[in-house]
Amino acid sequence: MRNILRKEVRLGTLTIVYFFVLFGLMFLLPGYPVLCGAFFLTLGLYQNFRYARECNDLVFSALLPIAKQDVVKGKFAFSCILEMCCFALMSVSALVRMTVFSDASVYRGNALMNANLFALGMALVLFGIFNLVFIGSFFKTGYKTGRPFITYIVICFVMIGVSEALHHFPGMEPLNSFGFDHLGLQIITLTAGAVCYMGLTILSYRESCRKFERLDL
Amino acid sequence: MSIVRINNLKKSYPTFELNNVSFALEAGRITGFIGRNGAGKTTTIKSMLNMVHPDEGDIEYFGMSLYGNEAAVKKRIGYSTGTINWYPRKKIKDIAVVMKDFYDSWNEELYRQYRSLFHIDEEKCAIELSEGMKVKCNLLFALSHGAEVLILDEPTSGLDPFSRDELLEIFEKIKQEGVAVFFSTHIISDIEKCADDIIYISHGRIVEALPKDEFRCRCMREGESLEDAFLRMESRERMERSERSHA
Repeated sequence: MRNILRKEVRLGTLTIVYFFVLFGLMFLLPGYPVLCGAFFLTLGLYQNFRYARECNDLVFSALLPIAKQDVVKGKFAFSCILEMCCFALMSVSALVRMTVFSDASVYRGNALMNANLFALGMALVLFGIFNLVFIGSFFKTGYKTGRPFITYIVICFVMIGVSEALHHFPGMEPLNSFGFDHLGLQIITLTAGAVCYMGLTILSYRESCRKFERLDL
Repeated sequence: MSIVRINNLKKSYPTFELNNVSFALEAGRITGFIGRNGAGKTTTIKSMLNMVHPDEGDIEYFGMSLYGNEAAVKKRIGYSTGTINWYPRKKIKDIAVVMKDFYDSWNEELYRQYRSLFHIDEEKCAIELSEGMKVKCNLLFALSHGAEVLILDEPTSGLDPFSRDELLEIFEKIKQEGVAVFFSTHIISDIEKCADDIIYISHGRIVEALPKDEFRCRCMREGESLEDAFLRMESRERMERSERSHA
Protein backbone atom coordinates (compact mmCIF):
# COMPACT_ATOMS: atom_id res chain seq x y z
CA MET A 1 0.00 0.00 0.00
CA ARG A 2 2.85 2.37 0.83
CA ASN A 3 4.37 1.91 -2.62
CA ILE A 4 1.07 2.73 -4.35
CA LEU A 5 0.65 5.88 -2.29
CA ARG A 6 4.23 6.87 -3.01
CA LYS A 7 3.54 6.39 -6.71
CA GLU A 8 0.48 8.65 -6.39
CA VAL A 9 2.50 11.34 -4.66
CA ARG A 10 5.60 11.22 -6.87
CA LEU A 11 4.05 10.60 -10.27
CA GLY A 12 0.27 10.77 -10.37
CA THR A 13 -0.42 14.07 -8.65
CA LEU A 14 -0.44 17.73 -9.58
CA THR A 15 1.40 19.71 -6.89
CA ILE A 16 -1.32 22.37 -6.90
CA VAL A 17 -3.89 19.87 -5.64
CA TYR A 18 -2.34 20.09 -2.17
CA PHE A 19 -3.20 23.80 -2.05
CA PHE A 20 -6.86 22.97 -2.65
CA VAL A 21 -6.84 21.44 0.84
CA LEU A 22 -6.56 25.02 2.18
CA PHE A 23 -10.12 25.66 1.00
CA GLY A 24 -11.07 23.94 4.24
CA LEU A 25 -10.29 27.30 5.90
CA MET A 26 -13.32 28.74 4.11
CA PHE A 27 -15.24 27.58 7.18
CA LEU A 28 -13.94 30.79 8.76
CA LEU A 29 -15.55 33.06 6.17
CA PRO A 30 -18.63 34.93 7.37
CA GLY A 31 -21.45 35.56 4.90
CA TYR A 32 -20.25 32.86 2.54
CA PRO A 33 -21.69 29.38 1.83
CA VAL A 34 -19.03 27.51 3.80
CA LEU A 35 -19.75 24.13 2.18
CA CYS A 36 -18.29 25.51 -1.06
CA GLY A 37 -14.91 24.77 0.58
CA ALA A 38 -15.71 21.06 0.26
CA PHE A 39 -16.66 21.56 -3.37
CA PHE A 40 -13.40 23.40 -4.12
CA LEU A 41 -11.32 20.51 -2.79
CA THR A 42 -13.20 18.09 -5.02
CA LEU A 43 -12.56 20.46 -7.93
CA GLY A 44 -8.84 20.00 -7.23
CA LEU A 45 -9.24 16.23 -7.04
CA TYR A 46 -11.11 16.32 -10.35
CA GLN A 47 -8.15 18.15 -11.93
CA ASN A 48 -5.88 15.51 -10.47
CA PHE A 49 -7.84 12.70 -12.09
CA ARG A 50 -7.65 14.53 -15.41
CA TYR A 51 -3.89 14.92 -15.00
CA ALA A 52 -3.54 11.22 -14.19
CA ARG A 53 -5.53 10.40 -17.31
CA GLU A 54 -3.30 12.57 -19.51
CA CYS A 55 -0.21 10.83 -18.10
CA ASN A 56 -1.64 7.35 -18.77
CA ASP A 57 -1.36 6.76 -15.05
CA LEU A 58 -3.95 3.97 -15.04
CA VAL A 59 -2.15 1.97 -17.73
CA PHE A 60 1.21 2.48 -16.00
CA SER A 61 -0.28 1.36 -12.69
CA ALA A 62 -2.15 -1.59 -14.16
CA LEU A 63 1.10 -2.89 -15.61
CA LEU A 64 2.87 -2.79 -12.24
CA PRO A 65 3.12 -6.06 -10.32
CA ILE A 66 0.04 -5.43 -8.22
CA ALA A 67 -3.56 -6.57 -8.44
CA LYS A 68 -5.79 -4.25 -10.45
CA GLN A 69 -7.89 -3.51 -7.38
CA ASP A 70 -4.78 -2.07 -5.72
CA VAL A 71 -4.71 0.60 -8.44
CA VAL A 72 -8.24 1.58 -7.38
CA LYS A 73 -7.24 1.39 -3.73
CA GLY A 74 -4.37 3.82 -4.35
CA LYS A 75 -6.60 6.41 -6.01
CA PHE A 76 -9.25 6.13 -3.29
CA ALA A 77 -6.69 6.25 -0.48
CA PHE A 78 -5.02 9.35 -1.89
CA SER A 79 -8.33 11.16 -2.45
CA CYS A 80 -9.61 10.21 1.03
CA ILE A 81 -6.37 11.42 2.67
CA LEU A 82 -6.75 14.84 1.02
CA GLU A 83 -10.43 14.93 1.97
CA MET A 84 -9.53 14.17 5.57
CA CYS A 85 -6.81 16.87 5.57
CA CYS A 86 -9.37 19.38 4.29
CA PHE A 87 -11.89 18.11 6.85
CA ALA A 88 -9.30 18.61 9.60
CA LEU A 89 -8.91 22.27 8.59
CA MET A 90 -12.69 22.64 8.46
CA SER A 91 -12.96 21.12 11.93
CA VAL A 92 -10.36 23.48 13.38
CA SER A 93 -12.10 26.44 11.74
CA ALA A 94 -15.51 25.31 13.00
CA LEU A 95 -14.17 24.83 16.55
CA VAL A 96 -12.64 28.31 16.48
CA ARG A 97 -16.03 29.71 15.46
CA MET A 98 -17.81 27.63 18.12
CA THR A 99 -15.50 28.75 20.91
CA VAL A 100 -13.40 31.90 20.46
CA PHE A 101 -15.82 33.62 18.07
CA SER A 102 -19.09 32.10 19.29
CA ASP A 103 -20.47 35.55 20.09
CA ALA A 104 -18.79 37.50 17.29
CA SER A 105 -21.39 39.74 15.64
CA VAL A 106 -19.93 39.07 12.21
CA TYR A 107 -20.91 35.41 12.59
CA ARG A 108 -24.09 35.95 14.62
CA GLY A 109 -25.53 38.26 11.97
CA ASN A 110 -24.74 35.76 9.23
CA ALA A 111 -27.82 34.96 7.10
CA LEU A 112 -26.10 31.93 5.69
CA MET A 113 -25.34 28.61 7.34
CA ASN A 114 -23.23 28.66 10.49
CA ALA A 115 -20.01 26.60 10.55
CA ASN A 116 -20.88 24.04 13.23
CA LEU A 117 -20.87 20.26 13.61
CA PHE A 118 -23.90 19.97 11.30
CA ALA A 119 -21.90 21.82 8.58
CA LEU A 120 -18.98 19.42 9.13
CA GLY A 121 -21.34 16.47 8.74
CA MET A 122 -22.66 17.92 5.49
CA ALA A 123 -19.09 18.45 4.22
CA LEU A 124 -18.47 14.72 4.79
CA VAL A 125 -21.66 13.91 2.88
CA LEU A 126 -20.41 16.03 -0.05
CA PHE A 127 -17.05 14.21 -0.03
CA GLY A 128 -18.91 10.89 0.03
CA ILE A 129 -21.04 11.96 -2.94
CA PHE A 130 -17.88 12.94 -4.85
CA ASN A 131 -16.34 9.54 -4.14
CA LEU A 132 -19.50 7.77 -5.25
CA VAL A 133 -20.56 9.82 -8.26
CA PHE A 134 -17.25 11.02 -9.71
CA ILE A 135 -14.60 8.48 -8.72
CA GLY A 136 -17.05 5.58 -9.08
CA SER A 137 -18.00 6.66 -12.61
CA PHE A 138 -14.37 7.37 -13.56
CA PHE A 139 -13.39 3.76 -12.98
CA LYS A 140 -16.24 2.62 -15.21
CA THR A 141 -14.32 3.82 -18.28
CA GLY A 142 -10.90 4.84 -16.99
CA TYR A 143 -11.00 8.07 -19.00
CA LYS A 144 -14.39 9.83 -18.88
CA THR A 145 -14.34 12.71 -16.40
CA GLY A 146 -16.72 15.35 -17.85
CA ARG A 147 -20.14 13.81 -17.40
CA PRO A 148 -19.44 12.31 -13.95
CA PHE A 149 -18.16 15.66 -12.72
CA ILE A 150 -21.14 17.61 -14.08
CA THR A 151 -23.48 15.10 -12.43
CA TYR A 152 -21.56 15.58 -9.20
CA ILE A 153 -21.69 19.40 -9.49
CA VAL A 154 -25.49 19.34 -9.85
CA ILE A 155 -25.96 17.04 -6.86
CA CYS A 156 -23.36 18.94 -4.82
CA PHE A 157 -24.95 22.37 -5.32
CA VAL A 158 -28.45 21.04 -4.68
CA MET A 159 -27.11 19.64 -1.39
CA ILE A 160 -25.37 22.93 -0.54
CA GLY A 161 -28.59 24.84 -1.33
CA VAL A 162 -30.69 22.50 0.80
CA SER A 163 -28.19 22.68 3.68
CA GLU A 164 -28.14 26.47 3.52
CA ALA A 165 -31.94 26.69 3.42
CA LEU A 166 -32.80 24.08 6.05
CA HIS A 167 -32.41 26.26 9.14
CA HIS A 168 -34.88 28.82 7.73
CA PHE A 169 -37.70 26.25 7.92
CA PRO A 170 -39.79 26.25 11.11
CA GLY A 171 -38.44 23.79 13.66
CA MET A 172 -35.11 23.38 11.91
CA GLU A 173 -33.43 26.40 13.51
CA PRO A 174 -31.31 24.25 15.88
CA LEU A 175 -29.32 23.07 12.86
CA ASN A 176 -27.81 26.55 12.76
CA SER A 177 -26.74 26.48 16.43
CA PHE A 178 -23.94 28.70 17.66
CA GLY A 179 -21.24 27.56 20.05
CA PHE A 180 -22.24 24.39 21.90
CA ASP A 181 -25.99 24.97 21.79
CA HIS A 182 -27.99 21.85 20.91
CA LEU A 183 -24.77 19.88 21.18
CA GLY A 184 -26.55 16.51 21.12
CA LEU A 185 -28.23 17.33 17.80
CA GLN A 186 -24.97 18.67 16.37
CA ILE A 187 -23.09 15.50 17.32
CA ILE A 188 -25.84 13.31 15.83
CA THR A 189 -25.72 15.20 12.51
CA LEU A 190 -21.91 14.98 12.41
CA THR A 191 -22.00 11.25 13.15
CA ALA A 192 -24.68 10.73 10.48
CA GLY A 193 -22.45 12.61 8.01
CA ALA A 194 -19.45 10.45 8.91
CA VAL A 195 -21.47 7.23 8.53
CA CYS A 196 -22.79 8.49 5.20
CA TYR A 197 -19.23 9.33 4.04
CA MET A 198 -17.91 5.91 4.96
CA GLY A 199 -20.90 4.10 3.45
CA LEU A 200 -20.76 5.98 0.14
CA THR A 201 -16.96 5.64 -0.11
CA ILE A 202 -16.94 1.89 0.63
CA LEU A 203 -19.80 1.32 -1.80
CA SER A 204 -18.01 3.30 -4.50
CA TYR A 205 -14.67 1.55 -3.82
CA ARG A 206 -16.20 -1.91 -4.18
CA GLU A 207 -18.04 -0.97 -7.36
CA SER A 208 -14.91 0.68 -8.78
CA CYS A 209 -12.81 -2.44 -8.12
CA ARG A 210 -15.41 -4.57 -9.88
CA LYS A 211 -15.68 -2.24 -12.88
CA PHE A 212 -11.93 -1.64 -13.21
CA GLU A 213 -11.19 -5.36 -13.07
CA ARG A 214 -13.41 -5.90 -16.13
CA LEU A 215 -12.17 -2.84 -18.00
CA ASP A 216 -10.10 -3.29 -21.15
CA LEU A 217 -7.33 -0.69 -21.12
CA MET B 1 10.55 -26.03 -21.83
CA SER B 2 7.80 -23.45 -22.43
CA ILE B 3 7.69 -20.69 -19.85
CA VAL B 4 4.70 -18.94 -21.42
CA ARG B 5 1.67 -20.71 -22.83
CA ILE B 6 -1.25 -19.04 -24.55
CA ASN B 7 -4.19 -21.42 -24.88
CA ASN B 8 -7.16 -20.84 -27.19
CA LEU B 9 -7.48 -17.12 -26.64
CA LYS B 10 -10.71 -15.64 -27.97
CA LYS B 11 -11.83 -12.05 -27.92
CA SER B 12 -14.67 -10.57 -29.94
CA TYR B 13 -15.09 -6.93 -30.89
CA PRO B 14 -17.85 -5.63 -33.16
CA THR B 15 -15.51 -5.55 -36.18
CA PHE B 16 -12.69 -7.89 -35.17
CA GLU B 17 -12.24 -11.27 -33.59
CA LEU B 18 -9.23 -12.92 -31.99
CA ASN B 19 -9.84 -16.55 -32.78
CA ASN B 20 -8.30 -19.47 -30.87
CA VAL B 21 -4.87 -17.92 -30.52
CA SER B 22 -2.44 -20.48 -29.07
CA PHE B 23 1.34 -20.52 -28.89
CA ALA B 24 4.21 -21.01 -26.47
CA LEU B 25 7.43 -19.15 -25.68
CA GLU B 26 10.67 -20.72 -24.52
CA ALA B 27 13.49 -19.41 -22.35
CA GLY B 28 16.55 -18.09 -24.18
CA ARG B 29 14.77 -17.66 -27.51
CA ILE B 30 13.60 -14.65 -29.46
CA THR B 31 10.13 -14.92 -30.91
CA GLY B 32 8.96 -12.55 -33.62
CA PHE B 33 5.21 -11.97 -33.71
CA ILE B 34 4.37 -10.77 -37.19
CA GLY B 35 1.20 -9.63 -38.86
CA ARG B 36 -0.15 -6.64 -40.71
CA ASN B 37 -1.73 -3.67 -38.93
CA GLY B 38 -4.97 -4.75 -37.27
CA ALA B 39 -4.11 -8.47 -37.43
CA GLY B 40 -4.49 -8.86 -33.65
CA LYS B 41 -0.91 -8.44 -32.41
CA THR B 42 -1.64 -5.70 -29.88
CA THR B 43 -4.84 -7.37 -28.65
CA THR B 44 -2.88 -10.57 -28.04
CA ILE B 45 -0.11 -8.71 -26.22
CA LYS B 46 -2.57 -6.71 -24.13
CA SER B 47 -4.30 -9.96 -23.20
CA MET B 48 -0.92 -11.38 -22.16
CA LEU B 49 -0.52 -8.38 -19.83
CA ASN B 50 -4.11 -8.62 -18.52
CA MET B 51 -4.97 -5.23 -19.97
CA VAL B 52 -7.57 -6.84 -22.22
CA HIS B 53 -9.84 -9.58 -20.92
CA PRO B 54 -10.28 -12.47 -23.35
CA ASP B 55 -13.74 -14.00 -23.70
CA GLU B 56 -12.17 -17.46 -23.55
CA GLY B 57 -8.78 -19.07 -23.14
CA ASP B 58 -6.01 -19.11 -20.61
CA ILE B 59 -2.55 -17.60 -20.28
CA GLU B 60 0.11 -19.35 -18.24
CA TYR B 61 3.46 -18.03 -17.11
CA PHE B 62 6.01 -20.26 -15.38
CA GLY B 63 3.37 -22.97 -15.04
CA MET B 64 0.78 -20.76 -13.30
CA SER B 65 -2.26 -19.03 -14.69
CA LEU B 66 -2.02 -15.26 -15.13
CA TYR B 67 -5.50 -14.90 -13.67
CA GLY B 68 -5.27 -15.06 -9.91
CA ASN B 69 -1.46 -14.76 -9.95
CA GLU B 70 -1.20 -11.41 -11.69
CA ALA B 71 1.14 -9.71 -9.22
CA ALA B 72 3.47 -12.72 -8.92
CA VAL B 73 3.65 -13.11 -12.70
CA LYS B 74 4.21 -9.43 -13.41
CA LYS B 75 7.16 -9.35 -11.02
CA ARG B 76 8.92 -11.79 -13.34
CA ILE B 77 8.10 -10.24 -16.70
CA GLY B 78 9.05 -7.03 -18.46
CA TYR B 79 6.94 -5.25 -21.02
CA SER B 80 6.81 -2.38 -23.40
CA THR B 81 3.50 -1.37 -24.93
CA GLY B 82 4.84 0.75 -27.75
CA THR B 83 7.05 3.58 -26.61
CA ILE B 84 7.06 4.91 -23.05
CA ASN B 85 4.18 7.35 -23.01
CA TRP B 86 3.45 7.92 -19.37
CA TYR B 87 4.32 10.88 -17.18
CA PRO B 88 5.93 12.82 -20.05
CA ARG B 89 7.09 15.65 -17.74
CA LYS B 90 8.61 13.42 -15.08
CA LYS B 91 12.31 12.63 -14.97
CA ILE B 92 13.40 9.09 -15.77
CA LYS B 93 15.03 8.84 -12.34
CA ASP B 94 11.72 9.70 -10.64
CA ILE B 95 9.90 6.99 -12.56
CA ALA B 96 12.71 4.55 -11.73
CA VAL B 97 12.50 5.37 -8.01
CA VAL B 98 8.80 4.55 -8.03
CA MET B 99 9.21 1.34 -10.06
CA LYS B 100 11.96 0.16 -7.73
CA ASP B 101 9.43 0.10 -4.90
CA PHE B 102 7.29 -2.51 -6.64
CA TYR B 103 9.98 -5.09 -7.45
CA ASP B 104 11.75 -7.10 -4.72
CA SER B 105 14.17 -8.26 -7.42
CA TRP B 106 15.18 -4.73 -8.51
CA ASN B 107 18.94 -4.67 -8.99
CA GLU B 108 20.47 -1.20 -8.73
CA GLU B 109 23.75 -2.40 -10.20
CA LEU B 110 21.96 -3.86 -13.25
CA TYR B 111 20.01 -0.61 -13.57
CA ARG B 112 23.27 1.37 -13.67
CA GLN B 113 24.85 -1.07 -16.15
CA TYR B 114 21.95 -0.98 -18.61
CA ARG B 115 21.52 2.77 -18.20
CA SER B 116 25.13 3.23 -19.24
CA LEU B 117 24.81 0.62 -22.05
CA PHE B 118 21.72 2.38 -23.45
CA HIS B 119 23.21 5.88 -22.86
CA ILE B 120 20.10 7.04 -20.99
CA ASP B 121 20.34 10.34 -19.16
CA GLU B 122 18.08 9.85 -16.15
CA GLU B 123 17.86 13.59 -15.57
CA LYS B 124 15.83 13.88 -18.77
CA CYS B 125 12.04 13.84 -18.85
CA ALA B 126 10.29 11.19 -20.92
CA ILE B 127 9.09 13.86 -23.37
CA GLU B 128 12.70 14.81 -24.15
CA LEU B 129 13.63 11.30 -25.32
CA SER B 130 13.63 10.19 -28.95
CA GLU B 131 11.41 7.23 -29.92
CA GLY B 132 14.39 4.87 -29.84
CA MET B 133 15.45 6.09 -26.41
CA LYS B 134 11.90 5.62 -25.12
CA VAL B 135 11.96 1.96 -26.15
CA LYS B 136 15.38 1.58 -24.53
CA CYS B 137 14.01 3.22 -21.40
CA ASN B 138 11.24 0.62 -21.21
CA LEU B 139 13.84 -2.08 -21.68
CA LEU B 140 15.95 -0.53 -18.94
CA PHE B 141 13.07 -0.78 -16.44
CA ALA B 142 12.24 -4.32 -17.55
CA LEU B 143 15.82 -5.57 -17.32
CA SER B 144 16.64 -3.89 -14.02
CA HIS B 145 14.26 -6.18 -12.17
CA GLY B 146 15.63 -9.28 -13.87
CA ALA B 147 12.62 -10.05 -16.06
CA GLU B 148 12.60 -13.62 -17.34
CA VAL B 149 10.23 -12.82 -20.19
CA LEU B 150 10.18 -9.61 -22.22
CA ILE B 151 6.96 -8.76 -24.04
CA LEU B 152 7.38 -5.91 -26.46
CA ASP B 153 4.72 -4.42 -28.71
CA GLU B 154 6.31 -3.10 -31.90
CA PRO B 155 9.52 -1.93 -30.24
CA THR B 156 11.20 -1.23 -33.57
CA SER B 157 8.40 0.80 -35.17
CA GLY B 158 9.38 4.40 -35.72
CA LEU B 159 13.08 3.73 -35.17
CA ASP B 160 15.78 4.63 -37.66
CA PRO B 161 17.72 1.66 -39.15
CA PHE B 162 20.71 2.28 -36.84
CA SER B 163 18.62 2.26 -33.68
CA ARG B 164 16.70 -0.78 -34.91
CA ASP B 165 19.93 -2.63 -35.50
CA GLU B 166 21.21 -1.62 -32.08
CA LEU B 167 18.00 -2.81 -30.44
CA LEU B 168 18.07 -6.17 -32.18
CA GLU B 169 21.65 -6.62 -30.97
CA ILE B 170 20.45 -5.91 -27.44
CA PHE B 171 17.80 -8.64 -27.86
CA GLU B 172 20.59 -11.05 -28.79
CA LYS B 173 22.52 -10.14 -25.64
CA ILE B 174 19.45 -10.52 -23.43
CA LYS B 175 18.67 -13.87 -25.02
CA GLN B 176 22.12 -15.15 -24.02
CA GLU B 177 21.11 -14.58 -20.41
CA GLY B 178 18.19 -16.99 -20.79
CA VAL B 179 15.46 -14.37 -21.17
CA ALA B 180 12.57 -15.16 -23.52
CA VAL B 181 12.06 -12.18 -25.83
CA PHE B 182 8.69 -11.83 -27.53
CA PHE B 183 8.25 -8.88 -29.84
CA SER B 184 5.59 -7.94 -32.33
CA THR B 185 6.47 -6.22 -35.56
CA HIS B 186 5.31 -5.67 -39.09
CA ILE B 187 8.91 -5.15 -40.25
CA ILE B 188 9.96 -8.45 -41.81
CA SER B 189 13.69 -7.71 -41.80
CA ASP B 190 13.59 -7.58 -37.96
CA ILE B 191 12.33 -11.14 -37.92
CA GLU B 192 14.89 -12.15 -40.53
CA LYS B 193 17.69 -10.68 -38.49
CA CYS B 194 17.14 -11.97 -34.97
CA ALA B 195 14.10 -14.18 -34.42
CA ASP B 196 14.53 -17.84 -33.52
CA ASP B 197 10.82 -18.51 -33.76
CA ILE B 198 8.13 -16.95 -35.90
CA ILE B 199 4.47 -16.56 -35.04
CA TYR B 200 2.43 -15.27 -37.93
CA ILE B 201 -1.03 -13.88 -37.23
CA SER B 202 -3.59 -12.81 -39.79
CA HIS B 203 -7.15 -11.57 -39.20
CA GLY B 204 -7.02 -12.63 -35.54
CA ARG B 205 -5.91 -16.20 -36.30
CA ILE B 206 -2.49 -17.79 -35.88
CA VAL B 207 -1.49 -19.01 -39.34
CA GLU B 208 1.93 -20.41 -38.43
CA ALA B 209 3.96 -20.74 -35.22
CA LEU B 210 7.29 -22.36 -36.04
CA PRO B 211 11.04 -22.10 -35.49
CA LYS B 212 12.47 -19.84 -38.22
CA ASP B 213 14.37 -22.64 -39.99
CA GLU B 214 11.29 -24.84 -40.09
CA PHE B 215 9.27 -21.87 -41.32
CA ARG B 216 11.75 -21.48 -44.18
CA CYS B 217 11.42 -25.15 -45.15
CA ARG B 218 7.65 -25.35 -44.87
CA CYS B 219 6.39 -21.97 -45.96
CA MET B 220 8.93 -20.50 -48.38
CA ARG B 221 9.15 -21.44 -52.04
CA GLU B 222 12.31 -21.79 -54.05
CA GLY B 223 14.08 -18.42 -54.44
CA GLU B 224 11.49 -16.64 -52.29
CA SER B 225 12.54 -14.21 -49.55
CA LEU B 226 10.85 -14.14 -46.15
CA GLU B 227 9.10 -10.94 -47.19
CA ASP B 228 7.79 -12.52 -50.44
CA ALA B 229 6.55 -15.52 -48.48
CA PHE B 230 4.65 -13.36 -45.99
CA LEU B 231 3.12 -11.25 -48.76
CA ARG B 232 1.99 -14.38 -50.59
CA MET B 233 0.60 -15.96 -47.44
CA GLU B 234 -1.21 -12.77 -46.48
CA SER B 235 -2.86 -12.45 -49.89
CA ARG B 236 -3.85 -16.14 -49.73
CA GLU B 237 -5.38 -15.53 -46.29
CA ARG B 238 -7.27 -12.53 -47.66
CA MET B 239 -8.64 -14.52 -50.60
CA GLU B 240 -9.72 -17.44 -48.42
CA ARG B 241 -11.39 -15.07 -46.06
CA SER B 242 -13.25 -13.33 -48.84
CA GLU B 243 -14.38 -16.73 -50.27
CA ARG B 244 -15.60 -17.78 -46.83
CA SER B 245 -17.60 -14.57 -46.44
CA HIS B 246 -19.21 -15.00 -49.91
CA ALA B 247 -20.10 -18.63 -49.17
